[in-house]
Amino acid sequence: MSDAPRWKGDFPVLWDEDHYVTRRELAKFLTLGSGTLVAATIGVAVVGDDIRPHGRFQRQRIDGAHALTKGSSLLFRYPTGEDPCLLVRLDDGKLTAYSQVCTHLSCAVVHRPLAGELFCPCHEGHFACADGRPTAGPPERRLPRIVLEETAGGVYAVGVEV
Amino acid sequence: METGKQGTTLFTGICLLIAVLLIIQIWLLAASLDAALSGQARVVVPASIASAVLFAVNAGLLWYVIDFDRRRRRMDTGA
Repeated sequence: MSDAPRWKGDFPVLWDEDHYVTRRELAKFLTLGSGTLVAATIGVAVVGDDIRPHGRFQRQRIDGAHALTKGSSLLFRYPTGEDPCLLVRLDDGKLTAYSQVCTHLSCAVVHRPLAGELFCPCHEGHFACADGRPTAGPPERRLPRIVLEETAGGVYAVGVEV
Repeated sequence: METGKQGTTLFTGICLLIAVLLIIQIWLLAASLDAALSGQARVVVPASIASAVLFAVNAGLLWYVIDFDRRRRRMDTGA
């Protein structure tokens, strides 16, 4: 005599048929997902140029830039009030500026004048002050560079180079 | 002659194949987004074409699944 409960005999489950239907429906669902992904990729191709903020930058004066001494830095915000940036006066007197947002996981980088680098304390990412390129740690892309314009009247941020 | 057991095995294999292609499509989308945000627009169009080709392959596989199912139903009803 079988150990199976009686209800199984009264209400049998047709597992083979059940598997057949679930696999068929899964194939349909996965193909629907595939269609969604191709639509999203084409969407990125169509609007891709617009989601990148370029060519629409305002000219913005950076207050206090002329007073920066060699090896010191200044925090400012550009192109919007929610985009922190660092203006750094290098040891050779040249001014350079970068986004303060780390290209790894968006922590704020800090200036380390003695090492001549920008440092991300979250995951120990290092960027060169001279060109913003990653020199050590997890970041793989350089920091976005803020294009500067120096005039007798002051220092201006005029664009962002990714 | 198409049977349910054959169909289950066949559909499992097809689902796995579609899943692999889907993962490649996810990778293509991530790469496209990354390229678009960093201004390398020339990467985005080939990625879209590759994704569309993969979708066409997936659609072809799904068409085979639907066709198999249709033939099996026809056989079951004896039509």
